[in-house]
Amino acid sequence: MGDLLAPPNTLEVLLGNEAIARGALEGGLNVAAAYPGTPSTEIGEALSKAAKKLGIYFEWSSNEKVAAEVAIGAAWSGLRSMTMMKHVGFNVAADAVFTLTYAGLTGAMVIVSADDPHCHSSQNEQDNRHYSEAAGLPMLEPSNVQEAKDFTKEAMELSHRYKVPFMVRTTTRVNHQRGPVRLGEITAKPSTGVFEPPEPDRYLQVGAIARKHHVELLKKLRDIQEISGSYARIEGPQDAEIGIVTSGVSYAHVRDALRLSGLEAKILKLGMTFPLPERTIGDFLRSINTALIVEELDPFLEIKVRSIAKDYAPDLEVLGKLTGHMPQFHEYTVRTVLEGLSKAFGIRSPIDFAEIDRKSSSILSKVPPRPPILCPACPHRSTGYAMRRAAGRAVFMGDIGCYALLFQQPFRVEHVTHAMGSSIGIANGVSLATQQDVVALIGDSTFFHAGIPALINAVHNGRKILVVIMDNRTTAMTGHQSHPGVPYDALGREAPSVDIEALVKAIGVNYIKIVDPFDHKETEKALREALKSEGVSVVIARRECALLTVRDIRTQGKRIVPYKVNPEKCTYCRVCINTFACPAFVDTGSLVEIDPAVCFGCGACVQVCPYEAIEPQEGSLDWRKEGLGVLAWGR
Amino acid sequence: MGEIREFNVMVAGVGGQGILFTTNVIARAALKMGINFVQSEIHGLSQRYGSIRTELRIGSEVHSPLILEGTLDLLIGMEPLETLRQAPYISERTSIVMSDHIIPPISAYLARLRVPSLEEILDDLRSLRPKRLAVVDAYGLAEKAGDYIAANVVILGAAQAIGSLPFPNGVLREAVEELSPARYRDLNLRAYDLGREGVSLPR
Repeated sequence: MGDLLAPPNTLEVLLGNEAIARGALEGGLNVAAAYPGTPSTEIGEALSKAAKKLGIYFEWSSNEKVAAEVAIGAAWSGLRSMTMMKHVGFNVAADAVFTLTYAGLTGAMVIVSADDPHCHSSQNEQDNRHYSEAAGLPMLEPSNVQEAKDFTKEAMELSHRYKVPFMVRTTTRVNHQRGPVRLGEITAKPSTGVFEPPEPDRYLQVGAIARKHHVELLKKLRDIQEISGSYARIEGPQDAEIGIVTSGVSYAHVRDALRLSGLEAKILKLGMTFPLPERTIGDFLRSINTALIVEELDPFLEIKVRSIAKDYAPDLEVLGKLTGHMPQFHEYTVRTVLEGLSKAFGIRSPIDFAEIDRKSSSILSKVPPRPPILCPACPHRSTGYAMRRAAGRAVFMGDIGCYALLFQQPFRVEHVTHAMGSSIGIANGVSLATQQDVVALIGDSTFFHAGIPALINAVHNGRKILVVIMDNRTTAMTGHQSHPGVPYDALGREAPSVDIEALVKAIGVNYIKIVDPFDHKETEKALREALKSEGVSVVIARRECALLTVRDIRTQGKRIVPYKVNPEKCTYCRVCINTFACPAFVDTGSLVEIDPAVCFGCGACVQVCPYEAIEPQEGSLDWRKEGLGVLAWGR
Repeated sequence: MGEIREFNVMVAGVGGQGILFTTNVIARAALKMGINFVQSEIHGLSQRYGSIRTELRIGSEVHSPLILEGTLDLLIGMEPLETLRQAPYISERTSIVMSDHIIPPISAYLARLRVPSLEEILDDLRSLRPKRLAVVDAYGLAEKAGDYIAANVVILGAAQAIGSLPFPNGVLREAVEELSPARYRDLNLRAYDLGREGVSLPR
């Protein structure tokens, strides 16, 4: 990680997300709040470290809507705030954001939407630029790490000037790009605000007032459109007849593709993509014969460029997704752009992709795929193992988190992965519509995020479902952020933890049992009992994320000593591989071995072997017997 | 050292092998030499023991954070299958430095897919006519240095030793030292030096 607090004018290597955090600090940030979600998480991680040193405030909120509301409350109290979320997180926050643009604000507020074309770590590839236009939320789109910092700072200043929230819209390849950034001065400092609306009805969105505020918002957006062109620039030979309109990371691919292809074209690179600088675009279109629009996902710019062209350059040929020259799905690369240039302008690609595909496809067919799987020592593996044995015939509604990987062989205890908290919500519907045993699997952080209302609904409406809360004491998938169930907050301070068991009891659940998933027998027994009980039952499978336990063991200066398969006892029955599938198992063709480079030495697999062939070595720990991963929660 | 216009590095392996650290060290060396770079990584779910790779583009003319097929200059392979999976990027300009330790995907066992042997992987890599192909006993040397977890730094040392990185030894070694957490610093430096000595070139 780069030094987020390095002095002005230094060149510091930052991740795009760190650059966004630094930009906010240079923009005078006082308060930030977020729910973790790839590819946005590291903005919060960086701010949590910086906040401690600068005395400003950062929290991991229980969900994106709450996070947005924390930031709104701060901005309405005259402070400068920011909230950050992944694209689908915006869906959760949207209710609060749509009305915020009408209300405006007293201080300043930046909303970062980190989109994920290609679904690298997401369930869809929605294009959140539409949110910007739909909510009347002005938007800046950085192309690289330097702009990630500069635009975030700029967004904060603009929000303060125009009294509307500004969105910084990024994509994975900007968030997770790393490079040198020239720094400016940090102006973030602790500050106490006053809640004092500029006019008495400013923050009261009821019909008559909201109608008035809508008109005001449209006026503000026209004012902002006047400065939109100052975030655009034109590059390349002035007299080129081909023009490329682009923004975000696509700009970087275009630059490389033009150099490689030698095509004579100029580029209009947009920085503010809502509201768009109509005159700047119109003048550019007038100066060329053909325009190619290069943008990932939806034809957001393309449709607007076409409409501007009608007024400014009616004879112009506008090429892009609508004309079949560029794809409307997945992320772009330099290759995508080169192929688009070939289709549009008939140039020969400097690289023979067909030949590369031909040569490599026969090789790739021999390389077995390696999808992400649960880590060695992951408690979810043990829960999945027990679930398969106890509830093999049930239908399983899964949720968003590492445990979604239990959809894979040999567990197959996830038939559904949809949206945050949907496991319990959809279980409501399936249990109502069918006579099947319905199990909902949800993680602790996801339960706090959006699971609780659905559980309340199930109890009140008399559903019969089993909810398994897979409590690994952290938000694991995004890299171990705190949540309301742990006794520390985002700044590492002691914090009251919300007791899941007491909460579930208060909701009125009939059967509640807490188990250590590493105790396979107990876990299986609890699941069987729960399935037989009436109404809503909850099993809390509680064991901390293995990566935290491993870190603890190493921090204490202890060594991780792997387990070993005793070749005298191993019958090569493959039960361990076929039912437990830890990535440390190696099939030699005549025996199973444990790869010492992969094994974390947890000892859970000992229970799986029918021949007791898996044994500790000298120095091996037994996590269950030594209470590792279930006691040390005071961190 | 003349101006570097474009030098593309990929580090490929299995999540958890220290791939990001390895890339960060090379980027740090570029920074120390005053050379521009852009790096791309993937965080989140895909890190969980799946195939992962980072891409680092060094030079005055690089913009895109992603490497184009056929234009890779150095492939650091933390695992042989993951090295071979990058076949579309490998060409006559590519140097490959690879660990010899295969980590078979557990999903291959469950789907009864064949896992190729190291020899088969090497044959396929050679068929792509890389500029160099070096194999390192990264885990063995890392254990000798003190812990398996330093296998990534062993390969880094090896890559420098065979001249496939445009940085002098001192600069890269310093980058390892600067980026290592205090408790791993000595381990990593030992691993780096062992990697430099332990590299072999199969033909």
